[in-house]
Amino acid sequence: MTFNVIATRRIWYGLSAVLVAASIGSIALWGLKLGIDFTGGTLLQVRFTARPAVEEIERRAGEAGVGTVHVQPVGDAEAILRLQATDEASHQKVLAAMRAGDDASVTEQSYETVGPSVGSELRSRSLKGIALVLLAIVAYIAFAFRSVSKPVSAWKYGIVAIVALLHDVLIPTGVFAALGHFAGVEIDVLFVTAVLTVLGFSVHDTIVVFDRIRENLRRHAGQPFEDVVAISVRETFVRSLNTSLTVILVLLALYLFGGVSTRSFILALLIGVGVGTYSSIFIASPLLVTWERWSSRKRG
Amino acid sequence: MGHPADPRVLFYGFREDPCASWFGSGIIPPVMATSSNPIGALFRAPAARLRWLALFLLVVGVLAGLFVDPSVWNRIRGPLPEFPNKAFRLGLDLQGGSHLVYEADMSGVPQSDRSEQMSGLREVIERRVNSFGVSEPLVQTAMVGDKYRLIVDLAGIKDVNEAIRQIGETPLLEFKEGSTEPSRPLTAEEKQQLVASDAEAKRKAQEALKRVLAPGADFAALAKELSDDPGSKENGGDLDWISAGLTVPEFEKAVAALKVDEITKTPVATAFGWHIIKKTGEREAPGPEVELSNGTTASSTVPEWRASHILFKKLIETDIVPPEQWKNTGLSGAQLRRANVLFDQQTGAVQIGLQFNDEGSKLFGEITKRNVGKPVAIFLDGVLLSDPVVQQEILGGEAQITGQYTIPEAKQMVRNLNAGALPVPITLVNQQTVGATLGAESLAKSLMAGLLGFAIVALFMLVVYRFLGVVATVALLVYAALTLAVFKTIGVTLTLAGIAGFILSLGMAVDANILIFERMKEELRAGKSIRDAMDEGFRRAWLSIRDSNVSSLITCTILAWLGTSLVKGFAVTLAIGILVSMFTAIIVTRTFLRAVAGRWMEKHLWLFGVSKRRV
Repeated sequence: MTFNVIATRRIWYGLSAVLVAASIGSIALWGLKLGIDFTGGTLLQVRFTARPAVEEIERRAGEAGVGTVHVQPVGDAEAILRLQATDEASHQKVLAAMRAGDDASVTEQSYETVGPSVGSELRSRSLKGIALVLLAIVAYIAFAFRSVSKPVSAWKYGIVAIVALLHDVLIPTGVFAALGHFAGVEIDVLFVTAVLTVLGFSVHDTIVVFDRIRENLRRHAGQPFEDVVAISVRETFVRSLNTSLTVILVLLALYLFGGVSTRSFILALLIGVGVGTYSSIFIASPLLVTWERWSSRKRG
Repeated sequence: MGHPADPRVLFYGFREDPCASWFGSGIIPPVMATSSNPIGALFRAPAARLRWLALFLLVVGVLAGLFVDPSVWNRIRGPLPEFPNKAFRLGLDLQGGSHLVYEADMSGVPQSDRSEQMSGLREVIERRVNSFGVSEPLVQTAMVGDKYRLIVDLAGIKDVNEAIRQIGETPLLEFKEGSTEPSRPLTAEEKQQLVASDAEAKRKAQEALKRVLAPGADFAALAKELSDDPGSKENGGDLDWISAGLTVPEFEKAVAALKVDEITKTPVATAFGWHIIKKTGEREAPGPEVELSNGTTASSTVPEWRASHILFKKLIETDIVPPEQWKNTGLSGAQLRRANVLFDQQTGAVQIGLQFNDEGSKLFGEITKRNVGKPVAIFLDGVLLSDPVVQQEILGGEAQITGQYTIPEAKQMVRNLNAGALPVPITLVNQQTVGATLGAESLAKSLMAGLLGFAIVALFMLVVYRFLGVVATVALLVYAALTLAVFKTIGVTLTLAGIAGFILSLGMAVDANILIFERMKEELRAGKSIRDAMDEGFRRAWLSIRDSNVSSLITCTILAWLGTSLVKGFAVTLAIGILVSMFTAIIVTRTFLRAVAGRWMEKHLWLFGVSKRRV
């Protein structure tokens, strides 16, 4: 294989730029559809012995008189109802309206309610969590690479890793903004969990490549930085691909055969792991080279 | 698969002085790098010892596997001992149940009393929850920011709404006094029964009276035969001497009206039934001393009678409806200002102090006045907390309960009293209920996905790494067994997200192996011997494994801190998985490989997926 990621880096930058722009666009255009975890509200999953048409379910829900109720059919006998109200009385009213006099026709599969105060608290904690993870990772990389200072100083490895991470967070978020708009998929606490896990996984990959660069810098002392990075990326390429493949295969199994309630969580992980692997090979390491060239040019 | 463009370059400056490059890097030297290191020494052990170690690790893996699922062993064990069957702790989303989060409104409680109030509240709720009959209910308190939360987990609960209703009631503290009244009003039918019984007793009394008044009749013998009064019938109906106020007024009046040896002409009705009374004596007995106007005292006398009677009992209200032992006094937690632990200044005995508000003080004064010498009971949520005996009428709204309390007992009691006295209002802010069928479905799906995930990873490793893949798969089996055994041992609650975390960790665990194997293949291609390639592979891969896993562990820690139970479950299983995977990748894979490695392999490099030796 004579394929050189570094030499072709402009292609990858371009590809990522398009993806990131599309993601930002979709977030700006449609916004994020936040789930009840963050907004407060109620999620009620019911199973009908014979599910009426969605319009009929909506009509019944309207009769309950508890404000707007969104109905989403699941499988062939179930439906998820979304309520703004969070009190027990509304819950009972909606259940009664669904049963329409026949108690045996509807069983409650699951019920979840989040008070508005809990929602806003989770929102701020999620943002704090993401910020903390990013900070901790920069600190750790700067520490682990503290002795590597030439030709690129240790903290630059950290910054580049973070740029790659932002890329890895933005793309799944953009995809979910689009999914929220077209398929009603919501951003919940599990999505945040997936994003944070992707951060951990992606930096994992990036570190493996950086680690190899660190090693090769000593081994190939005197060679141009660009070539050292190219060799390192190629040496770790198979490993990165194989690792991601095992994880992606496992996630596919979970996505196809795991429970419905974690499906969008797994999807977020799948997208994130895919993008994360791509970014550690095609974005993070080339960025190091670009940065090194840029600063050496500036030095003159 | 990429060959290095120029293998000689890879060699350059590496073998000559590996230690210098490690220390020069300023990075902690890898554990296996020096022979003075005990772990390093372990791996330099002779082949025989390595094989024993490999066998030992295999046995550990098998034992862990049996611990995870003892069902197979227990079926075929024969005379061998049974393997303990400890169940996994499943989250509510897998076994069905309710997760309720309450917020306590502490605005009315001084800062210093808040945690005390919370534990009081927790005990009260726990008592209520325990009556629902769910297995292992969980009641926890949590501080989120400055908010006090109460978390209730009810696994497999049937009627969540009833449970929520009962939990939501403010704790009810009641003061009750002893009672002789029927616990409920009688029905019309029962009242009819009373009237009939009264008529029947009267009829019997009238018939008996004829026999009593007949000439030559023996009153004592008839009393013995007919009386319903078990206390007096055996001695011929004799009640001994009676002074005023000792018997019910109707009886006293009838006796006073009789002459000695005279018998009542008609049966006398009292609350007990109908009596035939015979006066048998009369005398003056010494009464209390009387204070005269001149300051001296004089003795007085009171009349006393002796009488015999024959009783014809009728049914009374409490025969039909037995009295409740305790009856309400109208005094409740609402009128209790606070309770605290006191110490008797002389004896140091532990006491419980109660302070009532104005209304409570008045009520408590009245209650203690009518119950001197009798117990007044304190109930919390219908359960008797204590029934101290009233020593005197207590005015002023301050009372002490003395008893053989230990300090912890007294503290607990005070908590209970305060929980009833100052009910902290709680509101339900978060509820998650999962039906049992949905839970079982999710569990089955997760297991399926897990097995499939494992199979895929194993297959992938076998195809790509061949012989190394076999070793990796065995190591992965050991990994799965160990991790699940750890979950069981420390009681990790497995949720849907938690199982996803574990399955994900399978994929990540294999990553350490891939790192090592890729490195080994590189070294093999570079022409190293199997042994050297292995050692270099492990040694060089360790830094990557360490750095990457540390970053994942950092993420897990933050996730666990972020903390809803859902996310925590995921973070905890993933973190345990990562820790165990570092052990299995470095110790287990390496030991297995070294135990089977030998020169024979060098003739069969295809086993490793290395097609050609390049030197």
